[in-house]
Amino acid sequence: MTATATLDARTLARRLAEAEATIQALLAGQIDAVVDSATRTPLLLSKAQQALRDERDRAQRYLDTPDVILLALDLEGRITLVNRYACVVLGWSHAQLLGRDWFDACLPAEQRAERKDAFHSILSGDLAAVDTVVRTKNGDERLIGWRHTLLRDEAGRVTGTFSAGADITDRARTAEALRIAEEHVQQGEKMEAIGRLAGGVAHDFNNLLTVILGNCELLQLDISPADPRHATLGEVAKAALSAVGLTRQLLAFSRKEIIEPGVFDLNEIVRDMRPMLERLIREDVSVILNLSPDDACVMVDRGQMEQILLNLAVNARDAMPKGGTLTIETSNTELDATNASRIGAKAPGVHVVLKVSDTGNGMTADVQSHLFEPFFTTKDVGQGTGLGLATVDGIVSRSGATISVQSAPGRGTSFTVHFPKVTRQGGPRTVTPSSTAVVGVHAETVLVVEDAAGLRDMTKRLLNRLGYTALIAANADEAMQSFERGTRIDILLTDVVMPGASGPELVTRLIETHPALKVVYMSGHMENDESIVHDGVLNPGIAFLRKPFSSEALGRKLREVLDRVG
Amino acid sequence: MGRALTGVPPKLMLRLYVAGTAPNSVQAIANAKAICDEHFALAYELEIVDLISHPHRALADGVIVTPTLIKLQPPPVDRVIGNLSDAGSVLLVLAGV
Repeated sequence: MTATATLDARTLARRLAEAEATIQALLAGQIDAVVDSATRTPLLLSKAQQALRDERDRAQRYLDTPDVILLALDLEGRITLVNRYACVVLGWSHAQLLGRDWFDACLPAEQRAERKDAFHSILSGDLAAVDTVVRTKNGDERLIGWRHTLLRDEAGRVTGTFSAGADITDRARTAEALRIAEEHVQQGEKMEAIGRLAGGVAHDFNNLLTVILGNCELLQLDISPADPRHATLGEVAKAALSAVGLTRQLLAFSRKEIIEPGVFDLNEIVRDMRPMLERLIREDVSVILNLSPDDACVMVDRGQMEQILLNLAVNARDAMPKGGTLTIETSNTELDATNASRIGAKAPGVHVVLKVSDTGNGMTADVQSHLFEPFFTTKDVGQGTGLGLATVDGIVSRSGATISVQSAPGRGTSFTVHFPKVTRQGGPRTVTPSSTAVVGVHAETVLVVEDAAGLRDMTKRLLNRLGYTALIAANADEAMQSFERGTRIDILLTDVVMPGASGPELVTRLIETHPALKVVYMSGHMENDESIVHDGVLNPGIAFLRKPFSSEALGRKLREVLDRVG
Repeated sequence: MGRALTGVPPKLMLRLYVAGTAPNSVQAIANAKAICDEHFALAYELEIVDLISHPHRALADGVIVTPTLIKLQPPPVDRVIGNLSDAGSVLLVLAGV
């Protein structure tokens, strides 16, 4: 009896243990089927399980919606739920994030205190949408736009927050890029408007300056140099010349100036400019020229080349308020393909290098990045136009050259310009002064066609003074009449833009009846006339006199054309 | 070690009741084979009984749920219920502890 009783007790214990194991396995979802005690057939649980699993998977899919960060925090700010996309953005795995303090794990240290305060506001009901920065595992920062809601238990007590976030970093960057692009477009439109304005103003301005300068010159010729009025007139002329410089600056900057490229030795230009540079620069700045022993021939417009030097020198002077050294160096260097593309040169080969250095204040990287922008200036109001370096940049790029700058605060600044080198013989045209005397008694008759009366009369007087017979016409029709009357005319000096027919149109008409007619065009700024200029460069064979001109320039240009053979 | 010295170890005989290709059953088969291959090498026999195909076999061992693994030899007869994912508990039963 005892043995049986013992056996029963063991069996009972075993059965109980089995029952417990069965319940636990059921609870753990590890059971597939239960055997029906009546029919002895297994009843599959898997369908119900599958439905549960589907439900769970669906919920997970919602949670893992791409492009939305889902995050739940408890009252302490610990992460209680985080979805797959959040892990992708933050760079941490699900296991690494779950249970961690959100503020310690994912926010930049300097923002933790502030964001924790904000978290407490959210818990007390302030659910305003905010954008905040999160820090990813590899230290990147992302901008997230958040929407918050509160989690509550069955009794309605707040148990934490549930937040949805969108990564708006790229959107913010795109918006910023768009804003900068718009600024550039606006800047470009502004520049174009200024260019148009400058071109228009310069035309009239140059006519006026020619009259002022010409009359000054005529008066000075009548007055003895010992007369104090001679010097006074000199001052007037000097002021007018400054205005000429300013106009040219505006024109060069707005790319409305006609350029006459020729082959020049940069060394000669620098040497010729030295006296002027030294006048321009204060006594406490010493000028050192370090010029290459070989020639440094480049294809440039001489006036523009002088302007580059002038602007860089003035800039250097202003960077050295306490004095220093301005060094102008030239050299020849051979650029291989790699170096050529590094500095942005069009092609490899021998280049002439112009380097203008100062020992001044130097510049920060930020200032350097804006250096060539028009109207960017570090000088006080009224001290600089902000056009100097923008002009230099414009001229440099039009000359097929490149410019770069090396500078650091307190370590001075160097501007380096690379020009493609040319040989003297290779240039299409070089400017050679005429050997014939400019002033004297000349047999030729000049017809001046100019609509501006002051300029027309002044030019006539200058021509008379130079020893020419001068006729005048206010427009193309009057000029045609002079020819039709059979008056002998050796050379036509004509404005380009005039009311009625333009200068080039007049020439086209005259050339049919007077094929040997010689012509000099005069203008103050770039015309849109393809018969004279193309892309701002004077067409070959066209004689051109830039307004305003001196009597000497006028005389020289006339002789150059009149003495031309053929 | 003692058993190894006395000669041939007693062969392990197991019977696993499953319900077709239901997920826990498939998992239980894989787990049982893995545990036996690792710890008992070739000295075991594993019979797999699919109650979907042979429902009346449940009678014999008094099986009421699947998966159920029954250790038939060596004695005492014992059983493990579930998908056998806890290899440690399974080993304790198989070793007769």
